[in-house]
Amino acid sequence: MVNIDVIMKQKIIILAALTVLLVLIIFAVKDFFFSKPGNSNPYEFELDKVRTGDTSMAVWAETHQFKTTLEEIHGITTDASGTIYISGKDAVEMLDAEGKETGKFPVEGTAFCIALNQEGNLLLGMLDHIEIWNNAGKQLSRWNSCGSDAVITSIATRGNNVFVADAGQKVVYRYDKKGNLLNKIGLKDPATGVPGFIIPSAYFDLGISNDGNLWVVNPGRHSFEKYTFDGKILTSWGKASMAMEGFCGCCNPSNFAMLNDSLFVTSEKAIERVKIYNADGSFNSIVATPDLFEPGTKGLDLAVDKQNRILVLDPVKLMVHVFEPK
Amino acid sequence: MQNRRDFLNLLCRGTILTGLAATTGVLAYRSVKSGNCELGSSCSNCGKSDNCSLTEAVLYRSTVWQLDPAKCIQCGRCATNCVMTPSAVKATHVFAMCGYCDLCGGYLKPDTKNISTAAENQLCPTSAIKRKFVEDPFYQYTIDEPLCIGCAKCVKGCSAFGNGSLQLQVHHDRCKNCNQCAIARDCPADAYSRVPASKPYLLQGIESKPDDKQIG
Amino acid sequence: MKKIFALVFLVFLFAVQFMNAYGIQRFPKPEFESGYVQPETLMPNPRAEVLAIMDIVVLIFCLSVVSWLVIKKRSRNKVFWMSLFALAYFGFYREGCICSIGSIQNVTLALFDTSYFIPLSAIIFFVAPLVYTLFFGRTFCAAVCPFGAIQDLVAFKPQKLGARLNAMLGVIPYVYLGLAVLYAATGTDFIICRYDPFVGIWRVNASFGMFVFGGLLLVSGIFIARPYCRFLCPYGVLLNWTSRFSRKHITITPAECIQCRLCKNSCPYDAIDMPVTGKNPDDKRTMGRKLIFITFLIPVLMLVGGWTGSRLHEQLAGVNGKVKLAKQILNPVSDKNQAETFEMEAFKSAGKQQSQAFAEAADVLHDFYIGGWILGGFIGLVFGGLIAGLLITKHHTDYTPNKGTCLSCVRCVDYCPVKVT
Ligand code: SF4
Ligand code: SF4
Ligand code: SF4
Ligand code: SF4
Repeated sequence: MVNIDVIMKQKIIILAALTVLLVLIIFAVKDFFFSKPGNSNPYEFELDKVRTGDTSMAVWAETHQFKTTLEEIHGITTDASGTIYISGKDAVEMLDAEGKETGKFPVEGTAFCIALNQEGNLLLGMLDHIEIWNNAGKQLSRWNSCGSDAVITSIATRGNNVFVADAGQKVVYRYDKKGNLLNKIGLKDPATGVPGFIIPSAYFDLGISNDGNLWVVNPGRHSFEKYTFDGKILTSWGKASMAMEGFCGCCNPSNFAMLNDSLFVTSEKAIERVKIYNADGSFNSIVATPDLFEPGTKGLDLAVDKQNRILVLDPVKLMVHVFEPK
Repeated sequence: MQNRRDFLNLLCRGTILTGLAATTGVLAYRSVKSGNCELGSSCSNCGKSDNCSLTEAVLYRSTVWQLDPAKCIQCGRCATNCVMTPSAVKATHVFAMCGYCDLCGGYLKPDTKNISTAAENQLCPTSAIKRKFVEDPFYQYTIDEPLCIGCAKCVKGCSAFGNGSLQLQVHHDRCKNCNQCAIARDCPADAYSRVPASKPYLLQGIESKPDDKQIG
Repeated sequence: MKKIFALVFLVFLFAVQFMNAYGIQRFPKPEFESGYVQPETLMPNPRAEVLAIMDIVVLIFCLSVVSWLVIKKRSRNKVFWMSLFALAYFGFYREGCICSIGSIQNVTLALFDTSYFIPLSAIIFFVAPLVYTLFFGRTFCAAVCPFGAIQDLVAFKPQKLGARLNAMLGVIPYVYLGLAVLYAATGTDFIICRYDPFVGIWRVNASFGMFVFGGLLLVSGIFIARPYCRFLCPYGVLLNWTSRFSRKHITITPAECIQCRLCKNSCPYDAIDMPVTGKNPDDKRTMGRKLIFITFLIPVLMLVGGWTGSRLHEQLAGVNGKVKLAKQILNPVSDKNQAETFEMEAFKSAGKQQSQAFAEAADVLHDFYIGGWILGGFIGLVFGGLIAGLLITKHHTDYTPNKGTCLSCVRCVDYCPVKVT
């Protein structure tokens, strides 16, 4: 009797132990063949939420998309006839106001920015130096290098003056038409109140307003600074914020253009958006929201043509977005 | 009878031994010899092959797991799937790439109203990033290594809004160098690979030795 | 000449690299005026490489000492102390990586994928225990393997399972081995490491799930001595077969067996072969018939197994990352509200061609098709062997340890009344 009990007990123990073993094996098999790695991230950073803008506030609408044939594009400008010039890797392309290609000529290297002077010739910023070309594709002159650390990101001209923004050395140069350096603008100087440019990445834009002063973006401070041509700082405005009214990220706006000589059209990276500010720095309106661009698009260069359309250069989709008021 | 048995045994033993020797030989030979390096004279850490045939490879070196930040999509599995808690993968700050921004995308939540070190403004779930004023307008951000759980939130923020100086890396003093890394097999971006233990880290944007001139 | 060419090429390559960096990417960091010094990026060093050599030395040392203790000293006590040392070193200090069981996969992967770099320690950890086993029996299992050591510690109330149950459960390691080799050869996963039950215990701060897994196995190990070794360990299969041809092996009695049966219950692992009484358990006729039956059965089983395996190759390959990705590309998430899977997100951001992803998946599938045949055939063979083992009983006179399943733990020796004269 006792013996049978012992045997029973033993059997039960074996059975229990074996069951545990088998359960473990079944668990492993199930885990290996039938489980899917979860697609939820407990630490999700919902970038998409930040990237969607309130389109109801947009008073501008995209009306055209002009494709470019260049393989890498960086700069855009327009002239009085409505021609659009796009600069990029190894070439400059010209489109008419309808977006049809009217010309294209090769350049050596990458033209990171482009501007037109009064004579209708093109000034190209080639990383460390300026080249002047006519629109038939002939190089007219080539200026000396601004230095081995130079990264030229923007050019603007007015009269005899050529302003060149050098993001690498964090300074704006004022040249005459011949390429002679007149003065440097924006070097930090506590005496005159010039704060100095903070440029964490290679986006550094400038432009000239109709009152004959120079506006320079100080991206690291998320602000616009207004200088006289001699380099005296007059005023500045700008607010760092992820919200619509401010400039987001570490360094923004990346580019701007003047509209009607008094409004600022600005573009940002990180949250890809194009907005308009009044001359006093107050927020005016939204032009383009992030959903129009690929995430991570950087360097949306801007231009305003003679019909007051806003042209946005999209270096990822390789096209120009054209905006007109609704 | 007994003799035949012994003989058969001997035969089998010999065969197995030869087999083992051959396998060892082939593997050892291969790990010294093989590789598809293009230079053939000195190592430029080209990363094309993790069994390159250059001098240091001749010593049977060991391998470690390496995360390629360029491939990483910040899915969060580095925090959850490591056999260690907290994960051996941590955010690593590549100072040489940092913009020292006031409005740091890796430090602050995107909807932050006023920039401050208040806990509710911090993106990091464990407040592992320390912000220190350097000089106007620069701030230094440092990872408090023991606190970081490798969730990649700051990495995503920094690469979206900043220079991408915050990157995930396997921290090899913590990593157990599992024979099969538990994160590697679930990493959706295939960012993990075995690399020689002599070059364990891979930072994006700069060579492993930060050089002032090459940043980006 | 060649050298000069290489040099020129080198310079050229550097130039190209420099040009790339010399784009808009090159960018200076902020200029600090307060004398701020940029801190170093924190990059802690991995474990020194020489320590891998130390692992090898310790392994060889342990194997030698334990073999000597088992074969010459025949001392359970000393073997036990060695097993504690192995547990401390390979288990808790090295935290279970590198281990011989897992090294099967490293070796397999290295044989199939020439671009995989196999560290020397992985080769040695695979080969050395097999070589020692070939000469002295499974002394590795006795007191070098940390898995064996930890299970040995908890085997308080080992129960006898009986020959049949032992044989049937004994098939699992073969299947496990087959799967492990298949998945390692196709570069899919290292399943032995994935389901390594004791990492959770070696690494004190491992995840809770792993800890429970190991803990439960140890609980069942109280009654079924060394469950992992006997019914799971894939390396045990290799050791089992090498041990059968070992030159020396532990014997229960130092001299003649006097059939006292005292050792009968001493083995916790059911590894002592009982004498099979009767001169000829099967007469010649039935034996012959059984043999013929088996010689027909085995090829049939192998074919059936192989066919089944090849049918299942898509299921088997479903675990592979490349195949998974291809499946997701084919069946994208249609629901707009549902987030895209991370795999798809990564695939898109990597900018790889769909056709390339499909081609890679097709390659893997093809490998699995062949692998399915081989794995199935192998499993068929194992089952054939199982049936053969159950059918045929061999004539056997003494109480002897089964050379295949004996783990050389030296427990039985103490029970034998015969002492060396
Ligand atoms: S698992 Fe891969 S993709 Fe996800 S965070 Fe880690 S490295 Fe990045
Ligand atoms: S956000 Fe995540 S990865 Fe970044 S420091 Fe904090 S815990 Fe680490
Ligand atoms: S190897 Fe192991 S410890 Fe290291 S990161 Fe991978 S899972 Fe974590
Ligand atoms: S059978 Fe496997 S787990 Fe057990 S001691 Fe031997 S090698 Fe280790």
